[in-house]
Amino acid sequence: MQIRDYVLRRMMVLPILIIGTSLIVFTLTRVGGSPIGIYLSHEMTPEEVAEIEERYGLDDPLPVQYLTWAGGMITGDWGWSGVAAAPVRQVFPDKLGATMELSLAAGIVAVTLGIGLGTYGGARRDRLPDHLTRVFSISGAAMPIFWFGILLLIVFWVGLGWAPIGRSDADLFQSISHPTGLYTIDSLLSGNWNAFVDALWHLTLPAIALGFGTMAIITRMMRSSLVETMSEEYVDAARAKGLPEKLVLRRHARRNALIPTVTVIGLSFGFLLQGTVVVEIIFRWPGLGRWMADAVLRGDQATIMAYVMFTSVLFLVVNLAVDVMYAYLDRRVVLGT
Amino acid sequence: MKRRSKGNTRSLWVILLALAMVVAACTAAPTDTTSGTDTTDAGDEATTTTGDDGTDTTAPSSGGVSNPDTFVHAADDEPTSLDPAQVEAGEGGETVILQVFDRLVEFSPDGPDLIPGLAEEVPGDDNELISEDGLTYTFPIRAGVVDHLGNPVDATDVKYSWDRALTMDLPESNVGLLADNVASTEAPDAQTFVVTLNQPNAAFLNSVVTQAVASIMSEEVVEANGGVVAGQPNEFIATNPIGTGPYVFEAWNRGENMLFTVNEDYWGTPANLDLRMEIVPDPDVRVLGVRAGDFDTIETDPSFVGDIEGAEGVTVFQGEFLLEPIHIGFNLNYSEDALPDGDTVAADFFYDPRIRQAFNYAFDYDAFINGALGGFGAPTPFYLPQGVLGYSEDLPVYSQDLALAEQLFRDAGVWDEGFTVSVIAEEGNLFTTAALVLKDSLEGLNPAFSVNVLAVAEAQFDEAHASDPVPYAMWVKNADPYADPHAFMSDYIDPDGNWGQVHGFANGYVEPDQIGSMIDDASVITDPDEREAIYQELSTILYDDPMWIIAGNEVAVMAHRDWVQGFVMNPLWPRPSLKFALFDKG
Repeated sequence: MQIRDYVLRRMMVLPILIIGTSLIVFTLTRVGGSPIGIYLSHEMTPEEVAEIEERYGLDDPLPVQYLTWAGGMITGDWGWSGVAAAPVRQVFPDKLGATMELSLAAGIVAVTLGIGLGTYGGARRDRLPDHLTRVFSISGAAMPIFWFGILLLIVFWVGLGWAPIGRSDADLFQSISHPTGLYTIDSLLSGNWNAFVDALWHLTLPAIALGFGTMAIITRMMRSSLVETMSEEYVDAARAKGLPEKLVLRRHARRNALIPTVTVIGLSFGFLLQGTVVVEIIFRWPGLGRWMADAVLRGDQATIMAYVMFTSVLFLVVNLAVDVMYAYLDRRVVLGT
Repeated sequence: MKRRSKGNTRSLWVILLALAMVVAACTAAPTDTTSGTDTTDAGDEATTTTGDDGTDTTAPSSGGVSNPDTFVHAADDEPTSLDPAQVEAGEGGETVILQVFDRLVEFSPDGPDLIPGLAEEVPGDDNELISEDGLTYTFPIRAGVVDHLGNPVDATDVKYSWDRALTMDLPESNVGLLADNVASTEAPDAQTFVVTLNQPNAAFLNSVVTQAVASIMSEEVVEANGGVVAGQPNEFIATNPIGTGPYVFEAWNRGENMLFTVNEDYWGTPANLDLRMEIVPDPDVRVLGVRAGDFDTIETDPSFVGDIEGAEGVTVFQGEFLLEPIHIGFNLNYSEDALPDGDTVAADFFYDPRIRQAFNYAFDYDAFINGALGGFGAPTPFYLPQGVLGYSEDLPVYSQDLALAEQLFRDAGVWDEGFTVSVIAEEGNLFTTAALVLKDSLEGLNPAFSVNVLAVAEAQFDEAHASDPVPYAMWVKNADPYADPHAFMSDYIDPDGNWGQVHGFANGYVEPDQIGSMIDDASVITDPDEREAIYQELSTILYDDPMWIIAGNEVAVMAHRDWVQGFVMNPLWPRPSLKFALFDKG
């Protein structure tokens, strides 16, 4: 089967998966609690509660509520966020941009350092550099993100005053337009170098905190995979042909060692998004994670459902991309057979 | 062989080192956040100061001032609406409304006295702006006032603003203050606004005119942006407040901050600095931020004072009492079937005043006030919080008396049989703590007594709280802050008031008619001494017939950087009780 046919088949199944996911999301959310609480004020009367229910359509039968919600998700009316005091659809892009920017930065930290350290350690198996990289990766996997994040804040924000908290300097942020929602990109597009530096500066600590744990996982995966690949016969053959060790590593071993590592990277991206919750709360990053944490604690079902649907669709799409990339990397894989 | 054994030894050390790091990561105590971690030279220590009038008296420390042109305040929550006709009482939006909008009269920074706002004079007996029958109030409106867009604002806009709130009549708002009191509004000319009340109300100016719902905006702005629709919020005004106040709203970056600039055309004394309200729900981060100098003021509660005291450049300000005592309610209007499984209290359990007295005598007030409130609080008489008319230190307040509590429980016939009762409270704050203190108090008194504390999310609590009847025998919350004792008595004491009806106070009061008529009488008397006498007599009666356990009244505590000048708090302003236009830095 050609890759094109495989992708087309997967895309045809995708809407069915999304509808099924939406039914599960809606049902579980409604079962989990009442949707009205977030919209109530203190000491309301039952009559006032009924008015609020009518305003948000929560007095309709459940099937009607589902259809209204599902239709709204398609047309762009994602409901009113009690936490953000704004339409979900209006707030979502800004929050998403902030989280994507943080996740991308953390991903860059994790992938760059992870593949680099994993390659470095794997190529020097059982020697001191290998031991050091393994200690480093274990510490990254062992340290709770919240603890590491607070430690970074105490040292670099409060103690040394080297790093700020939050996403931006308010004045610089307000001085540029935000077409993409990614502060770094928007500042470059605006040609505002100070805003770009401000964006990177605010990204530094949270990206390190978020990416450190994932870096550890990628390091270990890359190291293990490379060690295994380096013992393959074709690598010995490459050496026997007289190729320098660097070329053997780069052209033969690492490419194949990346196959399982790429799978891990793809899965890690989803977990990175989840990890943003803690990092965003600690570093006051105005992203989806922090918004969702508030929404869950306060029962803001419109926000919760929008987020879950978004991440579900994203996960499905990312997995498709990973499968396609996997097939590209390893030509021996016959898709769908 | 040698290389292999060397590798094994190295591997062993690596494993041991990794294990040590894992153990350290999992068991490390929270890093000390007190001044011991500061790397700057020891300078002025944090001080707790209170002037005679509650103003801060600390001199600013030397050294650079962060954000010299902007005042940065760290708020603990994000508003849900910035529309005076929609904002909920006590909610974060009121803070913004206080800075951006004006009202006809305002509370002075120093206390409960009223000062002119958009009205040139405060109506009173001396200026004949209140009719003899107490029903009509006339407000002379300042000339030449413009809003933040340059639209002229006069008496017609005042009438429009009040009528707008009454027409929208949003259930989440505080429009009841207007609806319950105002019969009609008129603007006979551009500089005169006249209000006619349903009945005389001595607390009208304090409790209604100063409140957020009575804020004033331009008719032109509203009509150009959605107009007025009965029963429907105005999304534009809720997110774009445009008033006449000292601050101009600029931007709302959700989850981050709200930005305000100085209103250069303000009719009064302009603000000194621009304003930025940072949204910082995490109290630990607020504390770290004020220590780092990123925040000039932070909202905090007494439990965090220990983390701040001793920090260089930070002052802990202890002001007056907040007007929102933390109370535990007795429900006299529930069905036994509606209570949580396990509750054994009968429907008439709290009808007997001896039971309610016994609960009050059993409660460990010292543990709550000195523990949860860190000593920043005090017992409160019924229902006259410190600072409102009628309060006196001589009024009776409950203190723990376990022997008397036992006697009362025995007299009421519940001692031997015991009971199980659930108390519902919002999780993660002082309300849950108060419920836990009640649990410890009662269960420590008699093992046959059992108290289940149900700590639930705010949304879940609000939903239960809005039910009629409430499906719980007891619940914990703080009172809404009011400036006048009538509002407290009406809401929390009157058998025909809000909670009186929901909780069936008439089932339990020994003399419900007497209590109701005393409250009504005091509300129409204009002489403050006469009113005070009535409220104090009422408080004494209520001591023997309590419908609440008042766990304590919290003192206003605020932390700010030493470079903040002119710091002042007034609990009669919406929490955090600050008007940032009064502050400067340097």
